[in-house]
Amino acid sequence: MRTRRSLGFGRSAALAVGLTLLAGAGLAAGLSGKANAQATYEIEPREPEYLYARTCGYCHGHNIAPIIRGRNLPPAVIESIVRSGMGAMPAFKPTEITNTELEALAEWLSQSEVDPEEHGG
Amino acid sequence: MTSGFSRREVMAIGGAVASSAALTPLAHARMMPQDMDRDVFAAACRELRAIVGDDWVFADEASTISYRKSGIPDLRGEHIPSGAVAPASVEQVQAILAVANRYRLPLWPISTGKNMGYGMATPASSGQMILDLKRMNRILDFDAELGTILVEPGVTYQQIHDYIEDNNLPYWIDVPTVGPIVSMMGNTLERGVGYTPYGDHFFMQCGMEVVLADGTVLKTGMGSIENGNTWQAFKWGYGPYLDGIFTQSNFGVVTKLGMWLMPRPPVYKPFMVRSPNVEDVAAITDTIRPFRMNNLIPNGVLIMGALYQMSMFNRRADLWDGEGVIPLDVIQRHARANDIGMWNTFYALYGTEEMIAAMEPILTGAFEATGADVLTAAEMRGNPYFEHNETLMRGGMTLEEKGLVRWWGRSGGAVAFAPVAPAKGAETIGQTELATEIMNKWGFDYAPAYAVGGRELHHIIFLMFDKGDDEHSAKAEQCMEEMITRFGERGWAAYRSSVSTMDLVAQQYGDANREVNARIKQALDPNHIIAPGKQGIA
Ligand SMILES: Cc1cc2nc3c(=O)[nH]c(=O)nc-3n(C[C@H](O)[C@H](O)[C@H](O)COP(=O)(O)OP(=O)(O)OC[C@H]3O[C@@H](n4cnc5c(N)ncnc54)[C@H](O)[C@@H]3O)c2cc1C
Repeated sequence: MRTRRSLGFGRSAALAVGLTLLAGAGLAAGLSGKANAQATYEIEPREPEYLYARTCGYCHGHNIAPIIRGRNLPPAVIESIVRSGMGAMPAFKPTEITNTELEALAEWLSQSEVDPEEHGG
Repeated sequence: MTSGFSRREVMAIGGAVASSAALTPLAHARMMPQDMDRDVFAAACRELRAIVGDDWVFADEASTISYRKSGIPDLRGEHIPSGAVAPASVEQVQAILAVANRYRLPLWPISTGKNMGYGMATPASSGQMILDLKRMNRILDFDAELGTILVEPGVTYQQIHDYIEDNNLPYWIDVPTVGPIVSMMGNTLERGVGYTPYGDHFFMQCGMEVVLADGTVLKTGMGSIENGNTWQAFKWGYGPYLDGIFTQSNFGVVTKLGMWLMPRPPVYKPFMVRSPNVEDVAAITDTIRPFRMNNLIPNGVLIMGALYQMSMFNRRADLWDGEGVIPLDVIQRHARANDIGMWNTFYALYGTEEMIAAMEPILTGAFEATGADVLTAAEMRGNPYFEHNETLMRGGMTLEEKGLVRWWGRSGGAVAFAPVAPAKGAETIGQTELATEIMNKWGFDYAPAYAVGGRELHHIIFLMFDKGDDEHSAKAEQCMEEMITRFGERGWAAYRSSVSTMDLVAQQYGDANREVNARIKQALDPNHIIAPGKQGIA
């Protein structure tokens, strides 16, 4: 996503949907049948640590794929690898991890410290 | 274990990715939809952009890179999409289908596009545009009394897992072995499997919403009853039961899916049956079957081959650097060193302490009579192979099995073949012998698992190869073809197929079946815009 404004519908509408979801009222909204399904993470990007734990960290540092924390990998390279899926790694699309989220994730990962709990690869 | 990629290699791949960004798909005729001029394709893309916004149409070399990735052999570029479009709502799906009909633009729907071993997000034939439904990713309903859920396509198992934890709901989910990054919808539509008592996913599905090619929105089962509230409670509705025709299918785009969830049991106790010899699989199968039929073993049982297991956490070179396939005695030696047998069977009991105490000795006695050890957490806690299946049998999150894709090294490569058979010992022996013979002939290691449902079993064979080596990829392709063909001659056909062999498998199911599917397709999607080639249906 280049800018939040170019989301195909007005930003304020998007925000309203997002806020309803965040407030936990999304169930009722969804059942109205008008699935104007704007993903919350397109509006409220998820934190790098959150994304790392729920996606990358299942393999990296968990005996399955190389350790990538604490290695100062260049952010641009991280972004390329996430989008293209290097080798055995699946590719992650902008619909799964938005460009905004990926930028922050790559920056964070690049500067992250080694996690002594992680192993193998 | 290997240390991973070097900084120089990382830079090289980054450079390669960046330089390919300069190309456009318009320079790659074979990626274009068949018989479509470039300017017509460009005009279609303009209309799609007007529907979903500029950011959600991907139609150049760089932005489609994620959609091209797969781990199966594709030496002739037969599974390369022309682009992707990502709607955010049912209305946008309808509008996209209208454009596709007008331009005769084929669309390949995906939910999360992680159909690993079967082609990921890639289409059955090049030039199709991926209809990426991942942005529709809300949990629309969760009935905490009935334990039912209604999800959109992009909802991952991780998302549901987190939702249940955040809201402290007394339910479990059932996951395929790759839960965190895949969707409940994609998996269930492929009739995928998991390993709790709710392991047969389509069996636990209840109600769906489908957008047909002409834009009609169909709610199956009880979904269309005015003021109804039974959509996720009663599967069958009234008249012909339709849900099945939208699974493994190109008859519509599914936009909502209802599922049943398993009430969290008070006690969960996992078991591992360690069998020392390859031929033990027959006795194990015959022991499991009656307990699956009378439900004393309630969950989807996995009989894991040692090599399948070890391929999660090891690279091939860690085990063997000799010529040819890994000899049995070498596998046996490594298995022993890891405290596992040649086959390791995982089942679990769920209930109260008293219920489990009553059932445990019956099962333990039966499996011990096959010459196996029956082990529990008391003996196996801390063993990564035990812990892996312990996680799966309670619907936990893991991606450890992704490790097998790296068996031959960093380039990765794995394509799945999953023939089904009656759950009888002689069938497993026969299938194991045939697969070993064919795979070894082509130079591949046989790394199997059997998933025992009720009366049948899925034989899960991952053909692991080096996708970075074209010759190896070609062998993988030929080996897979021979397996499908020769298993077919014995009456064993696959329950599902990679995009590269959809037609081959469809042939085995016979002309009448193909003809009926073709007629339904013609009636529902006369322009053949939804996923042509899916399961061999044009
Ligand atoms: C190591 C490994 C282990 C695996 N273990 C398992 C396992 O235990 N069990 C199992 O079942 N699978 C397993 N898989 C296979 C696969 O990864 C999963 O089945 C996964 O859930 C499928 O990907 P997905 O959910 O992203 O579906 P998608 O890729 O989104 O969808 C799969 C296909 O379904 C159709 N489809 C999807 N959504 C729609 C829609 N909304 N409308 C119409 N058609 C649609 C399309 O044809 C699509 O190509 C494994 C793979 C690997 C590599």
